[in-house]
Amino acid sequence: MSDNGTHGGHEANVSRRTFVAAAGAAGTASLAGCIYGDDEDEDAVVISMGSQTIEDVEDAMPDLLYENGLDEDIDIRFSSQEDDSGEQRDHYLSVLEAEESEPDLMMVDTGWTNILIERGLIANLSEELDDETLDLIDNEYFDAFTDTARDPDGDLFGLPLFPDYAVMYYNKNYARDAGYDDDDFEQWETEPMSWQEWAELTEEIVEASDAEFGFATQWDIYEGTACCTWNEVMTSWGGAYFGGEENLAGPIGERPVTVDEEEFIEGLRMMYTFAAEEEDDETHDDFPVGIASPDITSWDEEPAREPFSSGDAAMLRNWPYVIPVTLGDDDYPLNDEDDLGAMPIPYGVEEGEGAYEGTGGTTSAQGGWHIAMNPNTERQDEALQIMQAMTEDDFNLGMLEVIAWLPPKPELFDDEEATDEDAVGDIAHYMDTLRVSGEGAMPRPVTDQWPTQVDIIAERVNQAVSGDETPEESAEQLQEQLEDSEA
Amino acid sequence: MSAETDGQVPAAEQHSRRSGPLVAVTRWLENLGETAFAYLLLTPVFLLLGSIALYPLLRTFELSLYANVLGAGEPEFVGFQNYVEMFTGARNADFPGSTTFLPATETSSSFPFIHVDGWLRSALIVTLLFTVVSVFFETIIGFGQALVLDQEFRGRRWVRAAIIIPWAIPIVIQGMIFYLMFHPSTGFLTPYLSSIGLVAGTNTLNDPWSALLIVTVADIWKTSAFMALLILAGLQSIDRSLYDVAKVAGATKWQQFKMITFPLVLPAVGIAILFRTIDAMRIYGLIDSVSSCTVVPSLSCMVVETFNTARGLSSAVAFVTAAIIGLLVTIVIIQQVREGI
Repeated sequence: MSDNGTHGGHEANVSRRTFVAAAGAAGTASLAGCIYGDDEDEDAVVISMGSQTIEDVEDAMPDLLYENGLDEDIDIRFSSQEDDSGEQRDHYLSVLEAEESEPDLMMVDTGWTNILIERGLIANLSEELDDETLDLIDNEYFDAFTDTARDPDGDLFGLPLFPDYAVMYYNKNYARDAGYDDDDFEQWETEPMSWQEWAELTEEIVEASDAEFGFATQWDIYEGTACCTWNEVMTSWGGAYFGGEENLAGPIGERPVTVDEEEFIEGLRMMYTFAAEEEDDETHDDFPVGIASPDITSWDEEPAREPFSSGDAAMLRNWPYVIPVTLGDDDYPLNDEDDLGAMPIPYGVEEGEGAYEGTGGTTSAQGGWHIAMNPNTERQDEALQIMQAMTEDDFNLGMLEVIAWLPPKPELFDDEEATDEDAVGDIAHYMDTLRVSGEGAMPRPVTDQWPTQVDIIAERVNQAVSGDETPEESAEQLQEQLEDSEA
Repeated sequence: MSAETDGQVPAAEQHSRRSGPLVAVTRWLENLGETAFAYLLLTPVFLLLGSIALYPLLRTFELSLYANVLGAGEPEFVGFQNYVEMFTGARNADFPGSTTFLPATETSSSFPFIHVDGWLRSALIVTLLFTVVSVFFETIIGFGQALVLDQEFRGRRWVRAAIIIPWAIPIVIQGMIFYLMFHPSTGFLTPYLSSIGLVAGTNTLNDPWSALLIVTVADIWKTSAFMALLILAGLQSIDRSLYDVAKVAGATKWQQFKMITFPLVLPAVGIAILFRTIDAMRIYGLIDSVSSCTVVPSLSCMVVETFNTARGLSSAVAFVTAAIIGLLVTIVIIQQVREGI
């Protein structure tokens, strides 16, 4: 390019002044466009939750809230998040740390509510809700479940929405093929089996039926394996990550790491045996080999549910949402309670015979979600009204019917209406099993270090069940890693 | 206007117009040299870059000097403690996963500062390995694609579209394609590739070496087109008359490539390698969508995964990552300057 501002032999015909003016105008227009964006539904109260949950509740939840006292002038808008619980946690940490005013309300997992509380990122409901509502929560809600939304001083930071308990689902038609009948099913509903009894039963059912394999569960490298599926197996064998239930909340560094122990290794060896394709030095002599799909090491909730709902698997460990999803879809061969059965998660050692307090016996991970309020919300009065409507019994029973959200109140859990199919739908037939699971619920560790420890635990137990490490190697390595993490 | 042209404007007003601040700025603009004017126009870009690139980098460095950035209460200034703990392995437990891509090593007590464990044995190695392998193959394949696209042939337009399509696919969608190809529920490639020992037969996406291979191949598939486009631009800027002269002189196709094409396209290849190296060192999206940071830890993974649990440490990793990228880029640029590219 020549120095006189010409190019290709032609005189440049745009003056510098014109260029600067045009660039300035274009820049200003673009900036204005960026700043003044879409302001659709700006008066609505924004409730944030996973995209799949929104799909399930977006029609029914607003109606139930209005029916239970919410002012109809208050609009509700749902803000979609990733379904993965850990991703939601990270999103809320960023949004709340940046002091954004939206979302006004958000669903928070019991597993990480404490992190938001410790960092002062969610509103103290003990200061915001009226005394009547607070008394209702104090007196009528599940204490242990509600405690996961409180700070050490007892202040409430989340409205308990629904507890979640895992159960073992089974295909009744396949069980009938193996000679079992309704009397057996009734017994299985509330009387937990040992893992050995259950594994032999599963093997027998697969041999007698069209099931392609016996057991589907979640064993991918993700939070669910550490908090829930493995936690259930380990606890049922009498083991614990940190020396028992009393140490789940810490204090970090002062509690023992109790992973490299016999109970832990036995449970892991059993799971390896279930997923192994053939007998080898590491398989457990007391259990049948290969009743589970080897693919469980890549499955979380939905990939595990699909082969069960479609009739490939005889047994499935999963959450209550499986009931409406499976029975509500005509494409699946399971149509009603005569096809789909549920039983408590089997146990390794009898309750009370575990090595640590609160271990042994049937164990379900204590899951569940609360509703928390953004302290920077500009629609606090409306958000609090929504929370109050959520405490109504009819709202809880309505959500039980819509998406199998279990009631957060024990009385309601035992209510006749909750076991009436006409009132709450298919889940009514499974409330007895869910009650037994709830009695044996094991909360997950809830310290600030837990999100990091989740990855470590899930990776080690995944590698052990896939056969890349022996159970002993996994236990030893995990012991070292958790001790480092606690240091 | 007519008054001015008629010469009716009072002399005082004329003087004030010619000497006002606007006139002064305009005159100053008009009298600027070409280079100075170019820099003046670039000033907003420099300011923008400074605010969106330099400031965050400096802020990241500042955050890396603190602990308890996320906890209740004031953050605590700890100087370079996060860096020291990171390099001595004291914070290994804060990083996701324990995949290692180097053999186990004993730390020498006489040289305790660099502890070759944790992220140094995993994230740094993964990132460098991924960068070297992916950029190498992308350059070779991209060069080949560019040579094909540089030819005149029937259907060239369709071939060009076919080559560019992978590059146009968003990273997450591309990641999902590879995820589904190897996921046990839907995948069809695992049995074939495991039978020849390329990937693990089960738990493929959770097997570190298999997952790293899949991520690398996915990146090569996607980004070779980017290299091809940059190299093609270089090829098309070569004066075609040089080939005519070479033909008259009796040069073979290979001689034409060796004596004309390769030396003249080398600057474009160098720039393409530079861009890709920077990009490959920041690998995160593909890993997160195909496998997970726990299985295939990269430097960016370390930053993202510790961002909400240990912000000071996360900032230290981010700053070290930026420094490593800066160092590599500097080496490449110096090398290119030395070779006259």
